[in-house]
Amino acid sequence: MLLVKLAVKSLLNRKASALLTLFTIAISVMLLMSIERVRVDAKSSFSNTISGTDLIVGARTGDIQLLLSSVFRIGHANNGVSWKSYQYITGQRGVKWAIPMSLGDSHKGLAVLGTNKDYFEHYRFAKKQPLSFSQGHEFNHLFEVVLGAEVANTLGYQLGDEVVIAHGMGNTSFHNHDDNPFKVVGILKATGTPVDKTLHIPLAAIDEIHGGHAHQHQPAQADANDHDHDHDHDHDHDHDHDHDQHDDVDLVGTPKQITAFLLGFDSPLYTLQVRRNINQYKDEALLAIMPGVTLRELWEMLSIVEKILLLFSIVVVLISLLGMLTSLLSSLNQRRRELAILRSVGARPWHIFTLISVESLLITGLGCIVGTSLFYALMLLGADYLQSHAGISLNIALLSSYELMLLAAIMVAGFIVGLIPATRAYFYSLADGMSIKI
Amino acid sequence: MITLANVLFKWHTKQPEPTINISKLDIDQGEHVFLHGPSGCGKSTLLSLLAGVTIPNQGRIELLNKAINELSNSQRDRFRADHIGYIFQNFNLLPYLSPIENVTLGCQFSKQRQTNALKNSATLAAEASRLLSALGLNDSLQHQAVAQLSIGQQQRVAAARAFIGSPEIIIADEPTSALDTQNRQAFVKLLFEQASAANSTLVFVSHDETLQTLFTRSISLVELQGGTHATR
Repeated sequence: MLLVKLAVKSLLNRKASALLTLFTIAISVMLLMSIERVRVDAKSSFSNTISGTDLIVGARTGDIQLLLSSVFRIGHANNGVSWKSYQYITGQRGVKWAIPMSLGDSHKGLAVLGTNKDYFEHYRFAKKQPLSFSQGHEFNHLFEVVLGAEVANTLGYQLGDEVVIAHGMGNTSFHNHDDNPFKVVGILKATGTPVDKTLHIPLAAIDEIHGGHAHQHQPAQADANDHDHDHDHDHDHDHDHDHDQHDDVDLVGTPKQITAFLLGFDSPLYTLQVRRNINQYKDEALLAIMPGVTLRELWEMLSIVEKILLLFSIVVVLISLLGMLTSLLSSLNQRRRELAILRSVGARPWHIFTLISVESLLITGLGCIVGTSLFYALMLLGADYLQSHAGISLNIALLSSYELMLLAAIMVAGFIVGLIPATRAYFYSLADGMSIKI
Repeated sequence: MITLANVLFKWHTKQPEPTINISKLDIDQGEHVFLHGPSGCGKSTLLSLLAGVTIPNQGRIELLNKAINELSNSQRDRFRADHIGYIFQNFNLLPYLSPIENVTLGCQFSKQRQTNALKNSATLAAEASRLLSALGLNDSLQHQAVAQLSIGQQQRVAAARAFIGSPEIIIADEPTSALDTQNRQAFVKLLFEQASAANSTLVFVSHDETLQTLFTRSISLVELQGGTHATR
């Protein structure tokens, strides 16, 4: 305890250099932790985004581009899939369910997805978790919308609110359809995937936004005839997946083309065969990808960047520890008198050794604490940006065991680095004894 | 109390003449000894030997009837912590500790001196304060930053640190060289008072022979070495 007290007071006496050293370490710790947290969360965000889907089908582009545009809502698919091809492919043997996806519209910068009810039933994320509602239910009428958790949160929408969908992407759309307000009928629970940032409307409604029928339709509540109609279909729906597109005529409609669609098979054995058929489909240039495989490819592509980042942050930590070594070693020469005084009052060489070790541990430890606080501050500030710009949902939770291990590794490294000046001081104190040679 | 017999010490083995060559030196308990000699005659080396920091190449050094040249390094460290109070020439104090903390530091590394200190006062800080007052440093100065004290005041703090816990031997290495004549004598008298109160043996080293008259016994290191010592 005495040595710790002496170390603290001695450090306080050299505040300026000690604080600088501490900050260098803190910043390097923050950097390392942030990079690691983003890396780990990016990885889980990526791999958790979609599961349970056997194939994603879209117009022919690159595998990764199709994945990004259909699942992550990043980038645009230039071409679509014709409704004819969709119907043909989904009518094939072995297809258990199909989710058509029509993207390209937005509401206040958030993606609007036109789809069918199978989406709510068969879409899976993370470890095959289905979507579930925190409030309300799926859409049953043309002008109804189901919000992702974050949409409802950030825009403050509640059940029963009316939402206007714009044509095209971006906040300031030149083509607002004030005459087509959608009524919020459901809000999904948070998934940590792009689903949270999506407004889901019936596929047929996409056509309504773009097409010329806009004036024929009233807002959903007023559409009394549709009401009864839809309820009937709702009941059929559960029993008869294979013919969704026929059942939900009102909600699916007959669009010219859709952006992409997801397929689930009765057995995974169909996957490869259907995939080959789609990729060789003669009427239209289509591409089918297996999401798991493409996710992994995407991740491998990113992992080089990620490894370089990790390497850099480790180097930064090392440099900061070397900075501590430098400042401890250079202060040591000025402190030989201090060490001699301690020796004269009976401190043994190992006391001196411990004193210097404690100093380096204190600096590293405080650096870790300050660095971790900075890291949390950075996470709180950066989470929104990352979520909206990179689709990475950051997990602002307690430190994981991996992160604690990183901190422990830094502490150990700091301790080992501190052994150098401590050993030096030990030998100084043996050689100098109490004669002060300055 | 302090006995040196046939002590020979060289810093380097190739040194032609030993730095210290003392055939016999006896100092009794409670004696106040003035040890003088010109610069470079081996005063500091002798003090290192007396404090057990260095050990002689030959001969025997007994402190409190213990041959410290036969002790291990750590035993000598422990012995020094328990039995020796040391006053340096100047810049004696740890700048980041208050005067009180500097004084209590003198018994932090020794159980025995802590016990001794607590016989006089309830706490170590109280004992430190008592000693500082006795050495003429009033209460208001005792908690100030060390850097704000004058050299003379700092030297009193250093003396109090040496005296706390009543060690049997006080070694003072030119403690007055930074003081003016007036203050030197006063400081030496204060040392005497405290040494007598604790019945400590005081070995006072200086090249300033004007102080000699204050001491009951004076030893010339040059004569002690038989005059054979080559001036470095």
